[in-house]
Amino acid sequence: MKIAIAADGADLQSRVANRFGTSQYLVIVDLETGYFEAVPNPGFSGQRGAGMQAVVLAVREDVKSVLTGYCSPPVRGQLMANGIEVLTGLGGRVQEVVEKYKRGDLLKPGEDEVNRRSREIKIDRVTFVQAVKSSASQFSTLLPAVVGVILLIGLFNTFVSKESLISIFSGNLGLDTLWGACFGSVLAGNPINSYVIGGELLRHGVSLFAVTALIITWVTVGLVQLPAEIAALGRRFALLRNTICFILSIPIAIFTVVILNLVMR
Amino acid sequence: MAGSQKSKNRKPLTRIVLFPAFILAIYGIAFAISPDKAFTALMSSGNVFFTIVKPLALVFVVMVILNVVVKPAQIARFLGKGAGIKGITLSAAAGIISMGPIYAWYPLLKKLREEGAGNAPIAIFLYNRAVKPFLLPVMIAYFGWPYVAILTALTVLVSMAFGYSMSVIMGEE
Repeated sequence: MKIAIAADGADLQSRVANRFGTSQYLVIVDLETGYFEAVPNPGFSGQRGAGMQAVVLAVREDVKSVLTGYCSPPVRGQLMANGIEVLTGLGGRVQEVVEKYKRGDLLKPGEDEVNRRSREIKIDRVTFVQAVKSSASQFSTLLPAVVGVILLIGLFNTFVSKESLISIFSGNLGLDTLWGACFGSVLAGNPINSYVIGGELLRHGVSLFAVTALIITWVTVGLVQLPAEIAALGRRFALLRNTICFILSIPIAIFTVVILNLVMR
Repeated sequence: MAGSQKSKNRKPLTRIVLFPAFILAIYGIAFAISPDKAFTALMSSGNVFFTIVKPLALVFVVMVILNVVVKPAQIARFLGKGAGIKGITLSAAAGIISMGPIYAWYPLLKKLREEGAGNAPIAIFLYNRAVKPFLLPVMIAYFGWPYVAILTALTVLVSMAFGYSMSVIMGEE
């Protein structure tokens, strides 16, 4: 069983830190083996969300108890929700606190029961209404971008015809594959449409490389949806993801067709 | 929890409506130049909207359930940085079984991101949406099962490397 002590230093002689979220280290002690490790607390910087980062660290290290001077109620709530016991009001050396914990001196009568109850997920009416409100709020911030994407899809469907797309393929294997990836990136809608267009392209003599690139980018790259993706996941993530997916579509198309030819030989 | 995240991530209203306003302006021009085609485009958008109502409702229900039973720290543990093979498998499976257009899932992905999900699981989820189990019979009808099997296997394999790459490039590793 492991416990975490918020500490001002990286060893057992360090002092127990006043605040869990912004302590310099979390000293993780394995009570069975006596082995300890001082992990720098990502929340030490004190920036927004510091307490949450410390919670994530404690959860990841699979500790059963957190020992500290003080722990804010939201952070305490998060720790308890993850089954971690929180003991506060502690001071002195880390070593001393660990010894007291081992002897059971830190546990107050009935505290286990209190912790156990707080760990249980309470799904009452208030929680449910709050969850619906939160979801509606999260949803509403993205809805305008989604509506914009839907309107843009209507424009594409109407003003860009399938015939004009097919006429662009020239018979050049490399160029056609690139065009396939480009069209798949721009066009949007049900993937069945990509199969239908792909089938049509094959019927018109376009290579399977180009068709495969189109099918892949149809679902992995979305230029039309890009504004909505940026709004949801950030500009850097959205641009990087779409760029890499576009580039990847070419080798995947090549590999797919080459392997298929080997299998069908 | 989600409520506390809400205020710090709120964007100015002008920025939120900029994109749809721009598209509406294009519609305005289209109506001036070619009213018939612009009307057809609007009808087409209406059809798209009705097809995504069901997936959007599903996403909303999933979000409510997550808001009730899943804590941010649990999201960080299963889908956060260093979530390991469990996180990869979970996000790949979720991507494969998720239905409807991707933009219906953006609100959920945004919520997961705000509550600690890493870049790799989100990237893997998005990439695995390329695998559509319900559409496989249609795809097989068009291209044959060997082609579909190879493309599906490559997609799932590449998604893992892609997720890792996104994580490295975004500075998580």
